[in-house]
Amino acid sequence: MTSWVDASCIIIVFLSLIVLSNYRVAAMIRVFSVQSFVLGLLPFFLHASSISNQDVFIAFVTMVLKAVLVPSILFWAIRHVSMRSEVKPIIGFSSSIIFGAMLIAGVFWVSLSLKLPGKPVSDLILPCSLSTVLLGFMIMVTRTRAVTQVLGYLIMENGIFLFAVSLSDVMPVLIEMGILLDIFVAVFIMAIVVNHINEEFEKNTASVSQSKMGETF
Amino acid sequence: MSIVFLILFHWLVVLLLAPFFIGVISKIKAFFAGKRGPSFFQPFFDLRRLFQKNSVYSRTTTWIFRSAPIVNLAAVLVLSLVVPLGFLKAPIQFSGDIFLAAYILGLARFFIICAALDTGSSFEGMGASREAFFSCLCELALFMNFITLSLLTHSISLSSMIGAGIPVSWKLMGPVLLLVAGSLFIVILAENCRIPVDDPDTHLELTMIHEVMILDHSGVDFGYMLYAAAIKLFVFVGILIPIIFPIQSGNPVADMLIFLGGTLGLSVTVGIVESTMARLRLNRVKNLLLLAFALAFFGFVVKMWRM
Repeated sequence: MTSWVDASCIIIVFLSLIVLSNYRVAAMIRVFSVQSFVLGLLPFFLHASSISNQDVFIAFVTMVLKAVLVPSILFWAIRHVSMRSEVKPIIGFSSSIIFGAMLIAGVFWVSLSLKLPGKPVSDLILPCSLSTVLLGFMIMVTRTRAVTQVLGYLIMENGIFLFAVSLSDVMPVLIEMGILLDIFVAVFIMAIVVNHINEEFEKNTASVSQSKMGETF
Repeated sequence: MSIVFLILFHWLVVLLLAPFFIGVISKIKAFFAGKRGPSFFQPFFDLRRLFQKNSVYSRTTTWIFRSAPIVNLAAVLVLSLVVPLGFLKAPIQFSGDIFLAAYILGLARFFIICAALDTGSSFEGMGASREAFFSCLCELALFMNFITLSLLTHSISLSSMIGAGIPVSWKLMGPVLLLVAGSLFIVILAENCRIPVDDPDTHLELTMIHEVMILDHSGVDFGYMLYAAAIKLFVFVGILIPIIFPIQSGNPVADMLIFLGGTLGLSVTVGIVESTMARLRLNRVKNLLLLAFALAFFGFVVKMWRM
């Protein structure tokens, strides 16, 4: 099943790249949902020989929470603030892709000297999870909309989750569930906050400029 | 004698099969639109109709305009010679023929662009400029894929790059080939002016790239252009098929069926992509092409990393 794990890892990084290059928020959320779905399949591939109840549980919770619930909350948020596209990223879309590709190359180079405890199923998991974390981080810092920044945060978390799933033999399932709950609550709060920002300022960028505030009040 | 025969047979197969797959794509698109669609052989009828007509030339054009369709068709026919078509080995193979392949494409494009500029129409000049820009980015992705493939198979001849080494590579380097296949698919869509990049059916000025450059060609010349476009698509699909379906049974009939089945499958996929996706806004096309490059580069990185 190693080849399936490899393919999932590659697809997860690829989907992060797509989110990085996309400008329509709805499409970004859908891609994130697909990414979480692939991530949810991963426990089955990782322990194909002996699927335990724990694997099924993790996969189920991941899929329900990240591939269905979180995207629907995000869709609710963008519908309420009627925001459809990322307008002015700090780094343009084309340069983002090039930087993203360089980031991936850098991560793969660094990961040559990182050694995991134990024997991972696939050696691609470590560099791919790191790449996803960094790509998510890049989305978070270079995008100006609140919702897209949250998407960056979620993708970053997907990267961490990818890493955690591969270590599920040594990592207690309770901690993972705790992280998932945190994510869920965070997205929920964000959706409410974005709505409130919108109601207050009629403007849904994360950087509310000083002059605008002066105008509003 | 035998090489001449092989080349002629290769050309015969290419000339007979290429328009058929354009017909398959139109059929799929018609199916998605809820229509019955023209027959699979419609492209052949179109070509026959065009070949019976005379060409009309504008008085501002020179010999460049008249030569472009012929050069274009000749270039893609030469290109088809270095590409193995499943059951048919490539008649011409030598070390480094990928460069011939890439720059033969460049030659064809150069002549089309020159012919478009030769008409003196600002409309066609715009299309030429777009084509030049996008094909630049396409070539980047194409060459990145070629580099990765040649590293995988330790060869710079197209026939061996997509030949016997691929099944072994799928076992060891599956992720790399996955990325290469994805990237090449985007390149195919872009190079052959299929939908997310360009629409082969419309002549709307806003997003058209390739179609605008051949607006002034008519009759036989236009037929040459259409034929060349069909062959180009077929040849590109011929490059991608051995990567996606790396099965070589040794039995010519089985190989032929695998190849034709794969080509049919890929044509259907292209048709589905065309029916379900909207054309990208022009200034977003470069993102798609850069994404193809990023995919190819990612594949290259994984390959280097897994040495």
